[in-house]
Amino acid sequence: MITSELLKNRAGFEEKLRKLIGRPILLIELDIFALPCGCTGITTNMRGLEVDDLEVFEPQMLALVKEMAVNLDVKPSVIFARIVPGSSIVASLNWRVLCSRCYPDFARGEGKTPRPDLYMLQFERRK
Amino acid sequence: MQLTGKSMKLFVPSPGHINSLKELLTEKDKIYSIFMAGSPDYIGTGRSNLASPQLEDIAAQTEYAHKRGVKMEMVLNSSCMGGRQLTPEGFRINHWYIEQLANMGVDSIVVADPYLVETIARDFDDVMVVVSVLAFVDSPQKAEMFVDLGADSIVIDSNVNRHFDVLHAIRDSVDCELKLLVNEGCLYRCPFRYAHFNFFSHAFGPEPRPNVLDDYYYFKCLELRIDDPQQIIKSPWIRPEDLKLYRDITDVYKIGGRTHFVDWILNCVNAYYGESYDGNLMDLLDCPKELKDLFYIPNKSLDGVLAKQWMNCKKVCIKCGYCKAFTKKVTQVYSGGGTELAALTSLDTFTEKS
Repeated sequence: MITSELLKNRAGFEEKLRKLIGRPILLIELDIFALPCGCTGITTNMRGLEVDDLEVFEPQMLALVKEMAVNLDVKPSVIFARIVPGSSIVASLNWRVLCSRCYPDFARGEGKTPRPDLYMLQFERRK
Repeated sequence: MQLTGKSMKLFVPSPGHINSLKELLTEKDKIYSIFMAGSPDYIGTGRSNLASPQLEDIAAQTEYAHKRGVKMEMVLNSSCMGGRQLTPEGFRINHWYIEQLANMGVDSIVVADPYLVETIARDFDDVMVVVSVLAFVDSPQKAEMFVDLGADSIVIDSNVNRHFDVLHAIRDSVDCELKLLVNEGCLYRCPFRYAHFNFFSHAFGPEPRPNVLDDYYYFKCLELRIDDPQQIIKSPWIRPEDLKLYRDITDVYKIGGRTHFVDWILNCVNAYYGESYDGNLMDLLDCPKELKDLFYIPNKSLDGVLAKQWMNCKKVCIKCGYCKAFTKKVTQVYSGGGTELAALTSLDTFTEKS
């Protein structure tokens, strides 16, 4: 059951991004993950997506990203793109439910690129 | 009726372990030679590898292939060894390794470094020295120099696969065997070519190996094609149907793809041996393999294009526009994979690159 949901969401997200950007970008792999630290989330490995696309279409893209998070029942505390360092290439989009150990790593950084390989789309600060 | 596959020598990749070899050699009548990489601990290769067979594995696989009438070629085509090959210790280790390969009956060794070409030609009479595609032999002058160093065979730089004037000039200039790499999907005149192969040579060569998170060149290569799919059409691959146009240059062809499944490799073997493929051109291209799930280009839609257009192409794309228009006409895009909405859509659906 869950695999058919993943297939449907992979295809749907890819299609919406293509329509938004106007290029046949490829969502090469959609993963739901759990890490040993306690973080969980979704990763989409992308081909053909560029930092410019994030900058121009960020509000529209964020809406799509959130829609898929709801579809897959993931409530992310951080949403970010991973960039190939020193380039305009977006390697992946990531939805992450941060554990208490990893939260400070993200909370300390500021701005859109707290690390050279990260482009922040959303971060929920804890109170 | 045209003779197909009779005089053709097909060099076929192996992922590198005995199980792959056994599967590949179920089609032994179509295969002249297997080629594979050895252990990265000695001399690396300019491409990624799935296995690192040790000497005893290579010996066993060589014997297995020979018993079935198929030759064995080892690929040691690192494009950068960091100068280690010129140090006394580097020379000693490399020489010892090549000696082991020669003693176990390996038929040919592919190298990219001219120094290794000369060394092997001088010291190992029983092994054919093959100049790798990664030595970038793209002119008769370069071919002559490699022959002077002792080369028995040259894999011509695939960038000139559609430059028939250059191919004929090379053929007229040297007597050695010439090989064409038929299914490399690399960008025509790729700007990343040297840097990428040098990176691979270190990543799949002796220690220390770079600990790289993302292969920039690979990502960029894919991005360029997704952004501008005509780059796929311009890549200098040779279709199975078009081999006949190369017959006055050579009948020795190399299929790339040692990181693929055996089933994929055998699909290529059958296509090139039979000189025909009715399916997606992307199925045959060694790289970048991820794009076969994105683009559908009917191979048969390219019938006649080489003879009609590319054999005489001046390669001034901005004045021509043929490939751009052709790409638009024949390329389709996969969408909805794995769902009931799976479909192929026209490339026109997407915004045209200005």
